[in-house]
Amino acid sequence: MTSAFLKLDRVTKRFRNVIAVDKASLDVGKGELLVLLGPSGCGKTTTLRIIAGLETPDEGRVYIDGVDVTDMEPGDRDVSMVFQDYALYPHMSVFDNIAFPLTVRRGKLRLSRRDIEERVLKVAKMLRIEELLDRKPPQLSGGQQQRVALARALVREPKVWLMDEPLSNLDALVRMQVRAELKRLQKDLGITMVYVTHDQIEALTLADRIAVMNKGRVLQVGSPKDVYENPEHVFVATFIGAPPMNILECKATEEILECPGFSRPLQPSTRGLQGKLYVGIRPEHIEIVSISEVTKEDVVEAKVYVVEPLGSEYIVNAVLEGEIVKVRTSRELLLSPGDTVYLKIDWSRASVFDFESGGSLGKLLKR
Amino acid sequence: MKKSFISRRAFKTLALNLVVWVFALAWMLPFIGLVAVSIQPYREVVVKGWVRVPDLSSLTLNNYIEALRNPLYDLATGYRNSVIVAFLSSLIPVVAAALTAYAFANLDFRLKALLFATILFIMMVPQQLTVVPLFLLYRNLGLYDTFQGIILLHSAWGIAWVTFFLRNYFRFIPRSLVEAARVDGASEITIFYKIILPLSIPALIASFIMQFTWVWNDLFYALVFLASRDKQVITQKVVMLKGEFHIDWGLLTAGSIISMSTPLILYVVFNKYFMRGVAAWGVKR
Amino acid sequence: MRLAKHLRPLVFLAPPFTLIAVFVIYPILATFYYSFYDKNTGLLSLNNYKEVLLSSNPLNMIIARSFSHTPPWGALVHNLVWVALHVPIVTFLGLIIAYLLKYHVRGSTIIKAILFLGIVIPPAVGGLIIRFMFEADIGIVPILFSYVGVESLSKTWTLYPQTALLALILGSVWLWLGFSVTVFAAAMETIPRSHIEAAKVFGASTWQIFYRIVAPQLKPAITVVVVMTLLWDLKIFDIVYASTGGGPGGSTTVLALVMYNYFARALDYYKSAAVAVILTLVVIPFIVLIIRRERG
Repeated sequence: MTSAFLKLDRVTKRFRNVIAVDKASLDVGKGELLVLLGPSGCGKTTTLRIIAGLETPDEGRVYIDGVDVTDMEPGDRDVSMVFQDYALYPHMSVFDNIAFPLTVRRGKLRLSRRDIEERVLKVAKMLRIEELLDRKPPQLSGGQQQRVALARALVREPKVWLMDEPLSNLDALVRMQVRAELKRLQKDLGITMVYVTHDQIEALTLADRIAVMNKGRVLQVGSPKDVYENPEHVFVATFIGAPPMNILECKATEEILECPGFSRPLQPSTRGLQGKLYVGIRPEHIEIVSISEVTKEDVVEAKVYVVEPLGSEYIVNAVLEGEIVKVRTSRELLLSPGDTVYLKIDWSRASVFDFESGGSLGKLLKR
Repeated sequence: MKKSFISRRAFKTLALNLVVWVFALAWMLPFIGLVAVSIQPYREVVVKGWVRVPDLSSLTLNNYIEALRNPLYDLATGYRNSVIVAFLSSLIPVVAAALTAYAFANLDFRLKALLFATILFIMMVPQQLTVVPLFLLYRNLGLYDTFQGIILLHSAWGIAWVTFFLRNYFRFIPRSLVEAARVDGASEITIFYKIILPLSIPALIASFIMQFTWVWNDLFYALVFLASRDKQVITQKVVMLKGEFHIDWGLLTAGSIISMSTPLILYVVFNKYFMRGVAAWGVKR
Repeated sequence: MRLAKHLRPLVFLAPPFTLIAVFVIYPILATFYYSFYDKNTGLLSLNNYKEVLLSSNPLNMIIARSFSHTPPWGALVHNLVWVALHVPIVTFLGLIIAYLLKYHVRGSTIIKAILFLGIVIPPAVGGLIIRFMFEADIGIVPILFSYVGVESLSKTWTLYPQTALLALILGSVWLWLGFSVTVFAAAMETIPRSHIEAAKVFGASTWQIFYRIVAPQLKPAITVVVVMTLLWDLKIFDIVYASTGGGPGGSTTVLALVMYNYFARALDYYKSAAVAVILTLVVIPFIVLIIRRERG
């Protein structure tokens, strides 16, 4: 809390009647890479723009390095932003594009022409675009344009680096390369970064911490491991992980947990659950076992719906009383639709969520 | 029987082409006549008409020289005056409207909708609605029969329609360019000057040329606000070539060609800009 | 020093809008005021309007008292007749020509460029050319009719009340055709080629393709052409002033010209203001239409 370099305190933003950002609070430590993750329209880009100063929040405050910047102009906040379309000025050379943040504030920053040149070259070297300095943006490839945009953001040595889905316009292969470089760059330079994306894989690979957003609210903030293993909301559970976590609508009574297609006695350590709830199990925590391994308690019978081959793995879609459950297995079983399979569920990894709010109720089994 | 030499389809296409081209040529006849009559002495045309191959020996530029030089007609002065008035009446509005259009396209302010509606309204209102009070005002301020007076008036109208035109163009420049510059700390004026203007050069040229042509072609304001011989513009003077009782068509055709020469040249050179401007009316955005 | 955010637009807007306020807005408001100003009594009344509308002098009447089968019928009526003839002809002709140019005829760029000349030249010169077109012995229209043997139409059209207005209107069709063709041609560009080609494969004739596929998709463009032409016809001045000056005998007067005559000949500024207002009122419904279209 106290070491927060960038802090959002219950920021709210409305557009006409729609609440785009709903009491969002975030703490980002110095040098940390925080990813804002969520589907389209969840408010992540608006939140980023509020940090940048391109939108003013209706409620809440924004602090950067201890200073309340909520009412400050974007240009005074000492932040840099990389836009989804790179926003490079097509009529200026790459050099002028990168130098732009420095040239417009030359007086203020007391920089000479030489100083500017030095800094631009330094940053261009870092991003390996020295040869492109004389060209104009329309002449560059997507990947090159992206580097120029990054260089322009870095040349000011900002306090916070903001990124709005910077990789979404790149080819898949280029995207992976740039992702790795970006993370390296951020670590080397130690710049605080807020990164917006809808791609959960990007989030999991890049982030120090992830803030999952939906419908304007921040649902959970945690490390990739945390968010994956201990989701605090059913939305987070299903958004992170591919294929997503299986969610079953179950009913708990005093002694028994009733789920579609099977039921299970509730152990004393798990009592306290009542009524309808969601039970979540990840596809990799379910095993397909042969008949000979069947014992009563933790094996469930299901019918195969379809099998999706994924190279070295298979996703078996199995039907449990009308609900489809996905199972991840590397065993090469010759299964066809309609076959009967036996699923062994690792109940120690199952999560439970409140039926009304979706909030996490912890793991099913307490150790 | 042998098959028909030209297929029905080809025949139809040929016929349509013929019809349209003949129509186009017929449409051009007045211009052809204009040129033909202007390069011959009028007395000859009276006698022999112009719908014939002209007698090469009697071709002359006398009509043009008369129209330009003769102090009664004085088209040369008119030409000069039109150039001055049209040029300044285009420069001022384009510069001013660029600023206004930038504000409408990229800034947010309260009265935006109202001010924009005002601009649209002004664009459509008849010129006649403004002249009487301005005429009286100009007389009192000593602006009557001056270039400054009419230039200011043309500029005010020009600002209205050029703002409308440029703002539509500015809208096509991605907002992210402006926002990136804001985050980098550029002031609005810097953004306007370093980013928006350079990217709008075609639109600036187009509006300058169209405004120039509009002002050059104006007759009404000139009639109201310019009176003395050395201030009148070419449209006024060419109309005065038409006599009350007798018309010297040689003179009049030559004068017509002189006065439309400038818009014509601009049109030939900047053809794209003209057509795009009008074509835009037909395409929804 | 940075100007406060909400004051920033002022820097951009103040100079141009000051100019507009002084040279456009103030005069418009003042004209309305003047139009009500009775110079005899010094009071505000509808007198100017009454006298202007009821005038029976053919040179400046707005609506005639009685209508014979030839003009003069009054300036407003002349404007309306102008609209009634000019708009349909220019629209239909423009549609057909644009259609033929796009789909059936080669060299459309040149033809479009030629037709467009009518809009590029000063309308005053346009008026002179129209006069030229209809002049006996040297104008192409009288020449044509003299070849065909119609004596009554081989005279100078603009010297006779029966034919003067018609001459101007037909001349304005000649001038304005380039506008409608250009607008329609641009609109037709947006119709996917595949629509036309599919129709051809289905066996539709040229006329059917035009009538059932192309024309319906041009409704917005048609609206633009109709309204713009209409506005132009109601406001017309230069052509009339340059060619006939409103004559002969007031058979080609138009509202804008009547306004000018009160101003420059009778030197009655207040009546001229009244006519300007009348002209504006006639035009306003169509302005509103355009504004609505732009906003929507």
